[in-house]
Amino acid sequence: MATRADFLSRIRKEVRRTPGLFPASTAIPPDRPSEAAAAIRRQMSERWPEALERFKQEFERVSGVFHRVTHIEEVPGVIQALAREKDARELITWEPGELGLDLRPHLEPQGLSVTVAPSDAQDGARLSYREAAARAQIGVTGADFVLAETGTLILISGSGRPRSTSLLPETHITIFGKERMLETLEQVGVVLEDLHVDPTGTMSGAVINFITGPSRTADIELTLTRGVHGPKEVHAIFVESL
Amino acid sequence: MRHLPSSLKIPFPERAGAALKDASLQEALTNATTKFIGLRKDAFASLPQGDLLRDRARAIKEATLERLDYYLEMLADNVERLGGRVHWAATGEEARDIILQLCGDRGVKTVVKSKSMATEEIELNEALEHAGVTPVETDLGEYIIQLAREKPSHIIVPAIHKTKGQVAVLFSHALKGRFAADPEVLTAVARKELRQKFLQADMGITGANFAVAETGTIVLVTNEGNGRMVTSLPRIHVALMGIEKVIPSMTDLVVFLAILARSATGQKLSVYTTLVRGPRQHGELEGPEEFHLVLMGSGRSNQISGELREALYCLRCGACLNVCPVYRQIGGHAYGYTYPGPIGILLTAMLNGDHAVKDLAHASSLCGACHEVCPVRIDIPRMLIELRQRLDRERIAPLAERGVFRVFGRVLASPTLFRLSATLGRMAQRPFVREGRLGSLPLVFGKWTKTRDLPPVASRTFSERWKELR
Repeated sequence: MATRADFLSRIRKEVRRTPGLFPASTAIPPDRPSEAAAAIRRQMSERWPEALERFKQEFERVSGVFHRVTHIEEVPGVIQALAREKDARELITWEPGELGLDLRPHLEPQGLSVTVAPSDAQDGARLSYREAAARAQIGVTGADFVLAETGTLILISGSGRPRSTSLLPETHITIFGKERMLETLEQVGVVLEDLHVDPTGTMSGAVINFITGPSRTADIELTLTRGVHGPKEVHAIFVESL
Repeated sequence: MRHLPSSLKIPFPERAGAALKDASLQEALTNATTKFIGLRKDAFASLPQGDLLRDRARAIKEATLERLDYYLEMLADNVERLGGRVHWAATGEEARDIILQLCGDRGVKTVVKSKSMATEEIELNEALEHAGVTPVETDLGEYIIQLAREKPSHIIVPAIHKTKGQVAVLFSHALKGRFAADPEVLTAVARKELRQKFLQADMGITGANFAVAETGTIVLVTNEGNGRMVTSLPRIHVALMGIEKVIPSMTDLVVFLAILARSATGQKLSVYTTLVRGPRQHGELEGPEEFHLVLMGSGRSNQISGELREALYCLRCGACLNVCPVYRQIGGHAYGYTYPGPIGILLTAMLNGDHAVKDLAHASSLCGACHEVCPVRIDIPRMLIELRQRLDRERIAPLAERGVFRVFGRVLASPTLFRLSATLGRMAQRPFVREGRLGSLPLVFGKWTKTRDLPPVASRTFSERWKELR
């Protein structure tokens, strides 16, 4: 096996021969990512209605289903209707604090089983959540950012926000408010820089997922088919008062 | 390479010839490549800053290679800081051994894989099977290919050459059932079958589309969601990547994301872009306990300042395959190596040496379509010409070919010889001209006219007419 030192010294030797070969520069990251991210948030607090309209358009173009409600109290009703439509009996959700609401008191009386993610990661909890995720027909999450120009939901994994909630069930539902809106990939770049300024701070989990519509494939005769491994349906519920 | 792929026992012209006679392959290739060309075109039409982003992406690749040692160290330090382990593999063999040893030490029985050309390149599946580990490809196209025991024929759509009927037969055989030749049905069958594998596997193996040095992040771009499964469910995650995949920052990453999916499938973004930093972090319920990053130098390290260095910018989007008049006719298998198409010829030269591309170097009309669509503007035709020159210089090209071109070169360089050969040619060609074309020539020249006409020497050459016109 090559050692790190050997490997890198070989690369270094090659690199020393490159001056003059490349007329190059990298993209320039923002000087102060936190300030740049704050500026984007200020900008978006004005521009969110246009961004939301664009998001709806792009999200629907990638076969997402968009819902809009006034208050968070209306969300359980939307989810309940979807569960009935899909004949779903089991749901999994992010931890209520992370999600912004606890669906259990609303949906359990309706005969639905709701498993919420625990905030502490014990081995027992790990297994039981995984089993629930594998059984559930619907997974409910929040979103950290919502990108208008591509119709993309951006979710950061972490305590109380498991990765499988948006992955294993056939239907994924995301709940979000206006302060999550971003317009461009370029803004996403700034926000990602900001998230990694203090690697132990803002971000706890190991994974950031960009989700642009339901899982899809065209591997058999180029026929577009949804839900090959991930969800067949993705719903986004925009809550005005959030 | 331990051994030549079995496909290479037949010479390239015969492999290509067989592909040309395969009617269903021809139809599949035309449909797929035409569709992708259209999708890509539409996707860039809606991106006014597309050209600027492509320039920027190229510059990032150049700048990163120029300081590759620095960025690789930074990447390795950050991955380790996050609790991952970094392995250094100078060759493909070393990369295989590292992964096999991880499997052995940790009692790994089943591995789920998301699509990775790097693992294809080192023939990891064969090595795993040999070691008693079961590898399961989980990208639908790769799964089909694995069941058929074939190789991918397109970088993005590996089973481009298979019909739904063939897939139905394969699935029925392998999974002991009877399944309709309907993509919807077959996809559902694969979902059910592979879901169990994801939940049971001990190890997930992925490649990496990008690796961000400043944050220690591996980036996977998929449409099916298998990349997410493979990096979330098994207890060990191993990512194998060529050293050229590293980029400096998140700001750089979004530049590539804006053009990658557009070039590959015409999507604005692929369905899933997954950014992974190390193993499961504190407080996380899910994710692997162990994260291993295998950095592979194989064939790449000594090209950083080499003649093929531009090929190191390649994003593996497949756009150059779709537009290539040669690929569109012969498909991926005829090339015989892991990477097909115009960029594949260069990557094969890089990874398998110049002898491997003795014939392949000529499997291009040098029309330039690949250069035009490449998201990072790799000048493939220029490198192909240089490659041909090198094959000649190193005496790898066949003797007859070198001889003919040497004579041709002399003739072109001397006005007297040129005029003389025009006169001689005019006489010599007489028996062979049919309807104003040279349709079949004798001897070694017949190889040229077997598949195409040659224009005859004009009855009056330009220089003869020029004298009169003056």
